[in-house]
Parts: sequence; C-alpha cells; structure tokens
Amino acid sequence: MNSDHPLLIVENVSKAFGGVQALSDVSFQLFPGTITGLIGPNGAGKTTLFNLITGIFPADTGDILFKGSSTLNNTVHELVQCGIARTFQNVELFESMTALENILVGQHARTRCGMWGSVFRFPWVRHEEGRATKIAFELLDFIGLKEHALRKSGDLAFGWQRLLELARALASGPRLLLLDEPAAGLNMVETMQLGDLIRKVRDQGITILLVEHDMSLTMEISDAIVVLDQGKKIAQGSPRSIQEDEAVMRAYLGTSPQK
Amino acid sequence: MQEILQYFFSGITNGAIYAVIAIGFSMLYNSTDLINFAHGEFVMLGALTMVTFSGPFHLPLLPAFIATVCCISIAGLLFERLAIRTVRFPEPIVLIIITVGASIFLRGIGMLAWGKDAYSIPPFSTHPPLDIAGAKLLAQSLWILLIVLLMVACLHFFFKKTLTGKAMEACAIDKRAAWIVGIPSKLMVMLAFGLSTGLGALSGVIISPITMCSYDMGTMLGLKGFCAAMLGGLGSLWGSLIGGFLLGILEALGVGFVSSGLKDATAFFLLLFILYARPGGIISALNVKRF
Amino acid sequence: MRVQILYSFFILMVALAGHFISNAYYLQVLTFIGINTLLALGLNMLMGYAGQISLGHAAFYGIGAYATAILTVHFSWSPWLALPVAIAAAVMVAYIVGVPTLKLSGYYLGMGTLGFGMIINIIFREWSSVTGGASGFVGIPALSLGPVSFSSRQNYLYLVWGCVLLCIVLCRRIIDSRVGRALRAIHDGEKAAAAVGVDTQKLKLQVFVLSAGMSALAGFLYAHLVCFISPETFSFIMSIRMVTMVVIGGMASIWGSLLGASLLTLLPEWLHAFSEFEMVVYGLILMIVMIFLPKGLTRGILDIVERSRRSL
Ligand SMILES: Nc1ncnc2c1ncn2[C@@H]1O[C@H](COP(=O)(O)OP(=O)(O)OP(=O)(O)O)[C@@H](O)[C@H]1O
Ligand SMILES: [Mg+2]
Repeated sequence: MNSDHPLLIVENVSKAFGGVQALSDVSFQLFPGTITGLIGPNGAGKTTLFNLITGIFPADTGDILFKGSSTLNNTVHELVQCGIARTFQNVELFESMTALENILVGQHARTRCGMWGSVFRFPWVRHEEGRATKIAFELLDFIGLKEHALRKSGDLAFGWQRLLELARALASGPRLLLLDEPAAGLNMVETMQLGDLIRKVRDQGITILLVEHDMSLTMEISDAIVVLDQGKKIAQGSPRSIQEDEAVMRAYLGTSPQK
Repeated sequence: MQEILQYFFSGITNGAIYAVIAIGFSMLYNSTDLINFAHGEFVMLGALTMVTFSGPFHLPLLPAFIATVCCISIAGLLFERLAIRTVRFPEPIVLIIITVGASIFLRGIGMLAWGKDAYSIPPFSTHPPLDIAGAKLLAQSLWILLIVLLMVACLHFFFKKTLTGKAMEACAIDKRAAWIVGIPSKLMVMLAFGLSTGLGALSGVIISPITMCSYDMGTMLGLKGFCAAMLGGLGSLWGSLIGGFLLGILEALGVGFVSSGLKDATAFFLLLFILYARPGGIISALNVKRF
Repeated sequence: MRVQILYSFFILMVALAGHFISNAYYLQVLTFIGINTLLALGLNMLMGYAGQISLGHAAFYGIGAYATAILTVHFSWSPWLALPVAIAAAVMVAYIVGVPTLKLSGYYLGMGTLGFGMIINIIFREWSSVTGGASGFVGIPALSLGPVSFSSRQNYLYLVWGCVLLCIVLCRRIIDSRVGRALRAIHDGEKAAAAVGVDTQKLKLQVFVLSAGMSALAGFLYAHLVCFISPETFSFIMSIRMVTMVVIGGMASIWGSLLGASLLTLLPEWLHAFSEFEMVVYGLILMIVMIFLPKGLTRGILDIVERSRRSL
C-alpha cells in the first residue's frame, strides 16, 4: 500500500516569525491512503506547518512537493484546486450560511460557473448546480447532518460544526486532507464517531495529516506519527514506537534532556 | 532660493499641524486599534471653539486655549462612551461607519452652531514677520513650531517617565496582559480618547490664526493628518512627527512648482502610494518604536 | 415562483405610478429614488455581500456622469453610444484602482477608497477645460430614442426603473449562484473562503468592478435627467449618502437597497428646511443604526419581530 510515490514531501522546511523559530528544518513524507498523526506540545509549530502546506505563507527555506511538484509558488486557492483541503483549529465555518450552503461553497474548486454563467443561467450552470446540491446532500448524509441541511451553521451544536467543517473540506474533492485538532472540544462519544469518519475518509483513498492532542484517538487511527517539539522534528515512526520513544516522553513530560 | 525657502517655511508650519493631528491618530490607534475617521472634526471643533472663546467670550489667550482643549477632550470622552463603547460587534467595518457617521454629525453640529461663515482669530503675538534670507517667517509659525515641539517633549516624558504613560504603553502592547497585571484598560482607552481628541483640539487652536476656520475644514485636515501618520508609520510618535513635516513640505513644494489646485491632491496621492507600496510607513525600515 | 410574483408586482407598481402620477415633482422624486436605488444596489453588492467598504463610490457615479457629458457635448456623440463608453470608463478605473486597493482591508481600505474618491473629485473640479470646473457642466442633451422622447418625465421614470429592475435581476442571479455563495463566504471569513478554493482577490475585484459599472449607469441617468452636473454632486458627502442608504436598508439585502434609497431620498423632502440638518441627521442615522442594528433596518426589525414572537 505504501509502495507508491509519496503524495506530499516536506523537505527541510523552516519558518520564523520575528524572533520565534516556529519550524526549523522539518522533513517528512506522506504516502497515499495513509493517516499520519502530527503531534507535539503547544506551540510546537503544527498549525504553522499546516499554513505552509496550504500556502497561507511561504517557507523561509526548504521545499514542499505535492504530487511531485513544488507548491511554493502557488496561492491558497490554487492548492485547493490541486487537491489539498484543510480544517481549522478554531472552527471557521461561514456562520451566516446554512449547512448546505457551507458545503456548496466547499465545492467551489470543482465547479466553474462565473459571473456570466450566474447571470445568464446557461443549461450547464443549472446542471452543475443540481449536481453540486446532490453531492452536498451526500456529504451531509455522510456526517449524519442531513436533517439539519437548512439550518444556519452558526446555530449548530459545536460538535456538529466540527463535522460540518470536515464535510466542507471533503467537498472540494481533495487528495490530501489536513485536520487541525478535529476532536478539540468534542466529548468521548463524538470523538469516537469522528475517528470512524476519519477512517472512512481514508478508505476512500484520501491521505490524511492529523493534528490532535487526544492521544488515544491519534494512536488508534494513525498509520504513522510525526512528533514536533519547538519547531523541530524529534521523532517519526509507528504509533507503538513513538509511545516508547524517550525524546517524545521528555518533550511531553517536560524533563530536561540529561546528558 | 528665496522662493524655495518661503515654500519651506509654509511647509513646516502646515507640517507641524499635520504632525499634531497625526500623533492624535497614532496614539488612539496604538491604544485601541481604532482609526477614528472623525478625528479631523475635533480639529474643526477646536478651532471654532477657540474662535468663540477668544472672540465673543473675550477670554485671554491662555485661558481660552486651555478651556478649548479641555472642552474638546470632554467631547471626545463622551464620544467614546456613547458611540464606541456601546458597539456590540466592534468589527472594523462597523467602527468605520460609526466614526464616519460621527464625523458627519459633528460637521453638521459645527454648521448649526457656527453657520457657514469662516472665522479667524488674531495671531498669538503681534511681532512682525522675521526676515530670513529674503523669505518671511510669520511669528505665528514660530509659535506653532514652539508649541508643537513642547507638546512632543511632554508626550515623550509622559510615555517614558510617568506611571500612567507606561501603563498606557503596556495596554497598547498587550491589552490582556496589561489587564492581568492590574492596569484598568478601560480607563486607559478613555484616557487615549481624551488625549487624542485633546491633541486634535490643540492643532485646531494653533491653526486658527493662520487659516479661515469653518465647519468644513475638518475632513481635509483629518485626512492629511492620517496621511502623515501613515507616512511615518501608524502608531509611532516620532514617525508621525516626521511624517507631518514631510507632508507639509512636499505639499508646499507641490503648490509652488506644480499648481495650487493640486495642493490637496498631493496628500491623497501620497496616501495611496503609501497604502499600496509601504503600508508600514516610509521609515519603517528604521524600526521606529511605538510610543 | 415567488420571485416572479415579486417582479411582476414591482413592474405593476412602476406602471401604475407612471400612469396615475402626473405631478412633475412626484415623478421627479420617484425617478431620483430609482437612481439612488441603482447606487445603493451596486454598493450593497460590495459592502453587504463581499464585506468590503468603499468610502469613495461617488467617484464612479461621477465618472459615469462626466463621461457621458463630455462625449455628448464636446464630441456630439449620441448618448446611447456614450452609455457603454461611460460604463466602460468606470469599469476600467475601478479595475486599475481595485487591484492595489482591494489588497487592503479594514481601516486601510476605508482610507484608500476615501483618498481615491477625493482625488477623482479634485480632478472634476480642477480640470476645468474638460469638466467645466467648479461651476459645473451645462448643456447635457436630454435622451430620446427614435420617436420616444425621454424628456417626458413619465418616460424617464420608466427608463430609470427599467434599469433598476434589470440590475435587481442581475444582482439576484449573481447572489443565488456559486459566485454569490463565494461572496458571502468572503464576508463571513476571508481566510476560510480562500481555504475552500475561492480566489478572494479576483472575486472582490469583480464585484468592485460590477458595482462601479452600476454606479456609472446611475451617473449616466442622472446627467441626462438633470442636464447639468457639478463636482459637488459627486463629493465625499455623496459617498457617505450611498453608504447610509446601504446601511439603513440593510447590508446584504437587495430589497433593502430599495428601501434605503427611498428613505434617504424622501427624508430631505419630508423634513421641512432639512438641508440645515441634513448632516446631523445622516450622522445620527449612521451611528444609531450601526450601534443598535448593525445588520440594517430591515434585517434588524425582522430580528426583533422574530425574537418577540419567540418569547411569546
Ligand atoms: N502568524 C504568526 N505570527 C507570529 N507568530 C506566530 C504565528 N503563527 C504562529 N506563531 C508562533 O509560532 C509558534 C508555533 O505556533 P503554532 O500555532 O504552529 O503551534 P501549534 O503546534 O499549532 O500549537 P497548538 O497546539 O497550541 O495549536 C508559536 O510560538 C506561535 O506563537
Ligand atoms: Mg495549532
């Protein structure tokens, strides 16, 4: 399964904000159809790494290759077009829009009706609209919110908002899905449901990079784990090997490295 | 040569005034992250109040000066209390519309109270103009420069040496952290509003002998002050000062060598240029400190 | 279906108004409401839907008016030929200015658009050989199309409101499409909109250009209605008036634009000797609406009704 070429290659990436070295010299690879857990204490640089991969800001040094080509010169929306989707650490739904509309916007990258199309409503536009709505309902069904399609997303319960954001990311038809702490703020039952959903997404062949502080979830569903601490990659391997890794223990328990 | 010097003198006179307005913008922005689109109207109110105090009320210069600045500061505090603090969704677009509304409102008040006529007061002193290399420097220009430099020195002292000033600076850097160490940030915001509008009034007062003051003078002055603040880097005391003088001089040269009709356009072209090209201000490379 | 009924009702109302009202003054006021609705509609697309403020939109209104004035008077073009050129001029200026300006956000965007509006106004005022300068531009011809003369107030009313209807349909269709959804997404969160693949920069620019075009159309209609234009009409105060219409009517509400434009056109007519108080009233309206009903009158009142009904 992992014998293909890597889908995403992160190569010696560094990023500093003023004096803060948020990432230094981080490298790893993601293989198609796997779930990789990205863990690390607060401020380790996980969200920053997401922002670099999705093109929100450029890396200071290093390169990021997606499907074999560098993404450094691409803008955020171009990368979505290429197949990178994400969710945010703090849920960022379009709150004044309904759940359905949120997912329709999510399909922006794979629909193409522009100003003229919307004004003249050509037949192909109506066709596209109908198909997008159908896909949106399928996705809502997938996360179990079909009955709430017409409710304002801002009015949904927090757990549902997280799910909706996941569905919105899926709506763009991504190859790679970046999830930033999707279980934060969810209760145990919701977290378990989320774990199942993430596995189902993976089984559709979508590669997932998962940032999550809930260790039991991460360890359970990840095929591989990458550990960051203070901007550096300190370990990488299977969930089991990570659980026994000394450097990781030190990073999490805060004991200073003994020499 | 003499001509250039003459333009230069009129440039630094206007520049000093732009600088005071710019400092008012910068200070408020520093403490509240807000750009007060009504700032220029406080300048107008300052000038016209001064006209009233020193004209019909026959107050001597200094008491009129102080009374004007105090009155306008209080108006600024009222503005903060009534219009800014009551906002439920303080997003920029909402605050822009509110302060623009306030600007139109104050302008309307100015028109109702003072009519559409233009006023002026006699200069602070009746010395004849200085003659420097053939160019004339008005005594009022000297007054303006003197007062502005004095004021900047006071502000510098206030922010660097007094506890209140340091508390305001702390608030400006991180509101939450300041609140945690016990600085009453609400009070600091009020103080910033009072100071900022007071500075606006001050610039109105010192400008009142050299221009015709009317209800519609504020918008233009406010915009130019903002332009000066952007030139120097919004949020910096010394930057605003330099930006003010720079704008004044450039404008005077523009009037002198291009066309007087373009006087106001100079500031706006500069503003757009700065916004597009160097939103950090032209001297941001020097890493100008905040207040 | 409901929309068709609404449009039919709209057409019926305009036809009735044109047919039964013969008082020249009332017809004039109604025509002005139409022109202002065009302005509010265009700005609402930008402010209400895309969430980008413009404090200099009167510039495009003015460009539309001056372009047609210059072409019809100095070059004796037919107004109908001048119309597309006037709109194209505004669209082009909007494009050139929009590229750098729309990169700004928040207060900077407000100041940038304000500065732009001021510069255009100064050009109207100072370039007197072409624009007539501060004293204005006289002798703009009235409109006529074959046998139909639009110097009749009734006909002009139909013309203006026909344009309004056209623009309402246009805006509605855009709002109800993929483009409109993306716009509202930008309003709710620009970062998230980009993250689902919306080219926010391009879309904002398109809407800016669209609203500039609509303002220019309004300027064209204004110029040929009044036959005289001066820089005063397109000054900063006009930009603020436009913002006020949008704010009162409700941001992101198409029929709200109609309401806002009507209120702001009628208010000065109703209040006797209003001109003295115009600025005070506008200022107060802007502040009060934004403080208490930041979604505008229509939406705000609907919300209040809904809340009180729920609490019953
Ligand atoms: N836009 C930014 N500007 C300045 N500093 C930033 C920015 N984004 C992140 N940082 C800094 O970079 C470091 C890494 O932050 P990051 O958000 O990537 O951590 P994280 O691993 O996601 O932490 P958490 O688990 O709390 O989400 C932090 O010190 C943070 O303050
Ligand atoms: Mg994070």
